[in-house]
Amino acid sequence: MRINSKLVKSAIAAIVVSYSSIASAELNIFACEPEYASLAKELAPNARIYSATTAMQDPHQVQARPSLIAKMRQADIAVCAGADLEVGWLPMLQMKSSNAKVRSTDQGLFYAAEQVETIDQLKSVDRSMGDVHAKGNPHLHFSPERMLKVAQALTVKLTAVDPDSKADYESALADFSLRWTAAIPVWEKKAAPLRGKKVIAYHSSFKYLFNWVGIEQVADLEPKPGLPPSSSHLASLLTRTEAGDVMAIIVASYQDERGANWLGERANLPVQVLPMSVGGNDQSQDLFSLYDSVLDLLLSVKAS
Amino acid sequence: MTVLNNRVSCVAAACAFFTTSAFAEDPTLTNPAISAVLDGYYQNTERPMAERGEGFGLGHTEIAMSANIDDMFYGKLTAVIEMHDGETELGLEEAFIQTLAMPWGFSIRAGRFLSDVGYLNNQHVHTDAFSDRPAAYRAFLGSHYFDDGVRVNYVAPTDLYWTMGLEGFKGDSMRAAGGEHDEHEGHSDHAEREYKNIGVYTAYTKIGGDIGNGSWQAGLSYMRNENGRMVEGEHEDHAALAAGHEGHDHSHSATFTGENTYIADFVYKWAPNGNYKYQHLTVSGEYFRVTDFAPLEDGHDHDHDHDSADSVDDMQGWYLSSVYQFSPNWSAGVRYGETDVQELHGDHFDAQKLKETEVSLAWHHSHFSTVRLQYTNQKGTNYFGIEDDNVLTLQYVMTLGAHGAHQF
Repeated sequence: MRINSKLVKSAIAAIVVSYSSIASAELNIFACEPEYASLAKELAPNARIYSATTAMQDPHQVQARPSLIAKMRQADIAVCAGADLEVGWLPMLQMKSSNAKVRSTDQGLFYAAEQVETIDQLKSVDRSMGDVHAKGNPHLHFSPERMLKVAQALTVKLTAVDPDSKADYESALADFSLRWTAAIPVWEKKAAPLRGKKVIAYHSSFKYLFNWVGIEQVADLEPKPGLPPSSSHLASLLTRTEAGDVMAIIVASYQDERGANWLGERANLPVQVLPMSVGGNDQSQDLFSLYDSVLDLLLSVKAS
Repeated sequence: MTVLNNRVSCVAAACAFFTTSAFAEDPTLTNPAISAVLDGYYQNTERPMAERGEGFGLGHTEIAMSANIDDMFYGKLTAVIEMHDGETELGLEEAFIQTLAMPWGFSIRAGRFLSDVGYLNNQHVHTDAFSDRPAAYRAFLGSHYFDDGVRVNYVAPTDLYWTMGLEGFKGDSMRAAGGEHDEHEGHSDHAEREYKNIGVYTAYTKIGGDIGNGSWQAGLSYMRNENGRMVEGEHEDHAALAAGHEGHDHSHSATFTGENTYIADFVYKWAPNGNYKYQHLTVSGEYFRVTDFAPLEDGHDHDHDHDSADSVDDMQGWYLSSVYQFSPNWSAGVRYGETDVQELHGDHFDAQKLKETEVSLAWHHSHFSTVRLQYTNQKGTNYFGIEDDNVLTLQYVMTLGAHGAHQF
């Protein structure tokens, strides 16, 4: 870091001086999604953290825009979901940002999905199946056990990149683990009334959450992953709701509500928008309040 | 599984060794990204200087392979197959390596690749919202300028995106017309012409950032074309090449060249909440200015020392385009552009002007398939005989395989 900024300084002093004095003081973390920005904040509270996307944006479809290239150029670590979630834009950012530090998982690149077992892995993938990921469902941040493993692995990565702050990262992890493991049984107790409920949801965005709390997603608003709800598909879902066992229609904060509303009105089912990540609603300020908010919202649907 | 294998062999037999793993999304040494773009169209007439002809045709059909070669290098190969007058042409549009691990934000690209001047030029044509490049691109860059050469690029470590680069190219496709005559003994009038080996140098810089839910980028480029000056007396060949109706030998060469080309470009993209999934808007525009195109006589510049071609305006071209994707399945675009060029007739220049107004409507079943209907109205003043022409194009562009991400 220090050598780096000295050389850059001598090369183009005028631009870099103000930047390098800040940058060399702290670690630069580029998070692909807000849940990983939030996790990074738990583990490296002093780092300069930037989230490439918000909970209102579909992480599959992000433009490799200039601001992201500029942020990635400065990053010491990039923390992403992986499992090909960012395949449409991360490689372009890596190429355009010319920052060798975050190009490979041997160095500063970190994929959460590589630290845990993902669900719904596929042996073979064909485009006629829609926008599917062979490496499994990447939306794993609603699995509390997996997030704990991710936190441990991220701490190892932070320590490898910034060994001087090893003690800080380890104590931050210990603190986070303590609070997280204490919160899990509380959440599970709170979610107990949701067990066995059935929902229709958009995409496989909340598959980990549903698996964890025991909700069954009986149908998908998308006819195929990545394709928007079509009228014929929605009509078939309407037939499915006639069984009378569906609790609600669930949509993530970045997803279009129109198809869900159409179905909800005709099937007389509540439509619930859940925050996809931190910042997806006013209540979700960090990973803890995100979990709280999602469970509160699901319980409020169940009660109505 | 067999279906996948068949597809791979259709793309390129050599790639069948990689079997189904070729379709995994991230490319590695043993698992390169392999893709093909299928482009077919029907067009009722021709646009001047364009790649698409009249009637049914195949457009930019490309096959691409890319992968990291090792921890230092990335490589990409793009072959383009085009049909012209019943003949199949195989061209190499990209065959380059790029460094991946240079320090301090530097990277080097070498081989054959798309120049980074302007906004559209480094984008593959199949990502465009219109079936042909704007007339300014067709006139001054041969639709899209790719060449053999080397590039050094630098990205500054600033929050405002800032990149700069220098390129050097062979420049064959940017040579002022008349070059063929060097090889033909009979044409003594410009047989003395000699071309420089490194014909084109470019320098460019781009800055960009976010404003609210929108993102922007602006760029300035300069292109020095050592072989860009026209040659006196060559105008018939030049015009025949450019007019390109009958007996048109398909060429990617720039129709109008000059020693100095200046390009200013900008693009702005916006989506509700920054979420590109359902709706997004793109506004972009570019301005070209080409100067010093008059022939030198006895080492003297026409503009100053020769009275026959005095006070000739610079050539220029611009376009402004806006594309709105209003649902995941539909997008519509409008584009307007003007191109003012000078054509050498004997010892004097004739000004020519072309105005194009275009609208396009595209249907996207998924990210990988597009069917487009486009209408172009052309108004020309002395422009290859065009006065008022209407062009209708119906086109499909579909990608299969593991296709790389596209630039902003």
